[in-house]
Amino acid sequence: MSQPVLEVSNLHTQFFTDDGVVQAVNGVSFELHEGESLGIVGESGCGKSMTALSIMGLVPEPGRVTAGEIRFRGHDLLRMRAEDVRDLRGRDIAMIFQDPLSSLNPVLKNGFQIEEAMLAHRHAARRETRERAVGLLRKVRVPAAEARARDYPHQLSGGMRQRTMIAMGLANDPAILIADEPTTALDVTVQAQILELLRDLNRDLHTAIVMITHNLGVVAGLCSRVIVMYAGQIVEQGPVDEIFEHPQHPYTWALLRSVPRVDAMRHERLRSIEGLPPDLIRPPAGCRFHPRCPFRVDRCFNDEPPLDRVGDGHVAACWVTMDRAYGEMGAAELLDVRPGAASGVRLPAERAGG
Amino acid sequence: MAERPAGEPAAPGAPAETLVRVEEVVKHFPARLGATVRAVDGVSFHIARGECLGLVGESGCGKSTLGRVTAQLLSPTSGKVYFKDVDLTRLRGERLRRQRRDFQMIFQDPYASLDPRMTVGDIVAEPLDNFGLVRGRVRNERVQELLRIVGLNPNFNNRYPHEFSGGQRQRIGIARALSVQPSLVVCDEPISALDVSIQGQIINLLQDLQRQFNLTYLFIAHDLAVVRHISDRVMVMYLGKVVEVAASRAIYSDPRHPYTAALLSAIPVPDPKTERMRRLVRLEGEIPSPIDPPSGCRFHTRCPIAQVPGVCSQVEPPLQELAPGHWSACHFADRVVEVAPWARAPDGARRPAPA
Repeated sequence: MSQPVLEVSNLHTQFFTDDGVVQAVNGVSFELHEGESLGIVGESGCGKSMTALSIMGLVPEPGRVTAGEIRFRGHDLLRMRAEDVRDLRGRDIAMIFQDPLSSLNPVLKNGFQIEEAMLAHRHAARRETRERAVGLLRKVRVPAAEARARDYPHQLSGGMRQRTMIAMGLANDPAILIADEPTTALDVTVQAQILELLRDLNRDLHTAIVMITHNLGVVAGLCSRVIVMYAGQIVEQGPVDEIFEHPQHPYTWALLRSVPRVDAMRHERLRSIEGLPPDLIRPPAGCRFHPRCPFRVDRCFNDEPPLDRVGDGHVAACWVTMDRAYGEMGAAELLDVRPGAASGVRLPAERAGG
Repeated sequence: MAERPAGEPAAPGAPAETLVRVEEVVKHFPARLGATVRAVDGVSFHIARGECLGLVGESGCGKSTLGRVTAQLLSPTSGKVYFKDVDLTRLRGERLRRQRRDFQMIFQDPYASLDPRMTVGDIVAEPLDNFGLVRGRVRNERVQELLRIVGLNPNFNNRYPHEFSGGQRQRIGIARALSVQPSLVVCDEPISALDVSIQGQIINLLQDLQRQFNLTYLFIAHDLAVVRHISDRVMVMYLGKVVEVAASRAIYSDPRHPYTAALLSAIPVPDPKTERMRRLVRLEGEIPSPIDPPSGCRFHTRCPIAQVPGVCSQVEPPLQELAPGHWSACHFADRVVEVAPWARAPDGARRPAPA
């Protein structure tokens, strides 16, 4: 396997609010390899965006990174001089956001904004940057790129704006492109084209992509590896085929069954996840998912499960895991998804003791 | 009785009784400089009692406007909306207000659609109060029962909306809609503002309620996967027109309009194997403006199989019934299979879904 270009270890990001300390990111560790495409999935407030903003040094007030390391090619961004970090962010690590209209300057022409991204990191003649900006717009498949470069952001459609953002992100040939819900605000046919573009850029330019999304389908189509987050922590991580076919964490399992598939031939009842995500000021003891988990056992209430190996390159943080839930708790037949619904099933004595 | 309008398929297996009949509805909005936004431009359909009709399309296709016209929150520029043979578009004042009890609406944004200064109990009871249906103790009992029905703690009736999560607020909106025992509920993107795990809860709840109270739904959403899941039939809109209507099963296995095929091919499926087999139906350009829609077939500027210049840019295709209950507005409906390879193999034999 190739060298990791990014190593995040034991990242903690907290928000110091009047109500208490919000543990937005709680001990997140992962690696990103050169040219890889990694998905980070989870719901609002799970910490996926805050993980990305921590990497970019963009955590908003009153939050800050309180512990951990973020190594880019071996150098810890959290311990580098501010100007060195600034130089690296935007050049080697670029980020694009959900809403391109609020990320683009409305009074600057599209082409110039791409040029600005280049000029922030190196000196170059305007003539050269102008040509390169148009070239980048062509690369992200903006039709009539030269004319569009002279337009202002409001003159573009949502899809074209997101392409312009991607062109800005690529302005300095970054090693990593972090995309935070880049297609969520777009129509589905436009989304498909943007995802196709990201897939091609990842392959042709060898830019590593971190795709942050709530949409499992987006991850399945774009990423080779996926991290599932819940309540500020990684609950499962592994190759996409493994995770989608044999999810081991009950949260991942339920998430996959709580969305209808467009190609479904039979419409089975969705296995929704009952309850709400926890309050991150006072997260539940033990496994943070236990208040909503149909498969919980006694141990889940007080004992926090570590990320353990459950397959090839596949880890999950669960005392039960779905293999056992299928075997001993009848997960396949489980229709009652209320918390603890399957925990009445008796585990073999030697395991139940933990 | 008027004759059966185009686009009114006899739903297979559905009860014969038609609850809602929309005929040639047009809704135009004035735009700048005397221009007209043709949001809905001649749409006809029906909904049988107890049925769920899905309405799908991308931003600006007119689906929300059509939902609002159907629920009489907007009056159409022209056309008729019949509710059990009563022409709602001719009702005015008190008679229309009385009739409104029969059709209620659930909105997309559970934050914006609840008055923050009202208690949950008063929000849920507001339609009951408006129609003067119940008072006092009975009213409170009814509110508590409604909260229980939608899965909320009945003792929360004195709390305010801000104390609830998005999913719980959507439940409050559903309880409010159900309070007056409507026949038709128009659901306008009821789950798109919610988190994935909560979406499943609300979809299941809507299905349970439909069964329990024999409700009829017009379910509007941009997500064809969700629409297919909950609906008996699916209606696809593009630029103010209905382009295809079919049973929810057939819309996937046998799409007869290239726009439907494009939508289907674009939806991400949470399955890496299926995703690797994806063949995207690429649409040219952007959706045209509803102020100046293209001539002929409105989809011809982006259609992968259009004959341009030719019949597609010159003649507007009518919505035609190609198979029982399956309607499509395309001059080349038989060629759609070329761009929807999952639908049928070249020899015409059906192929299973690429799963």
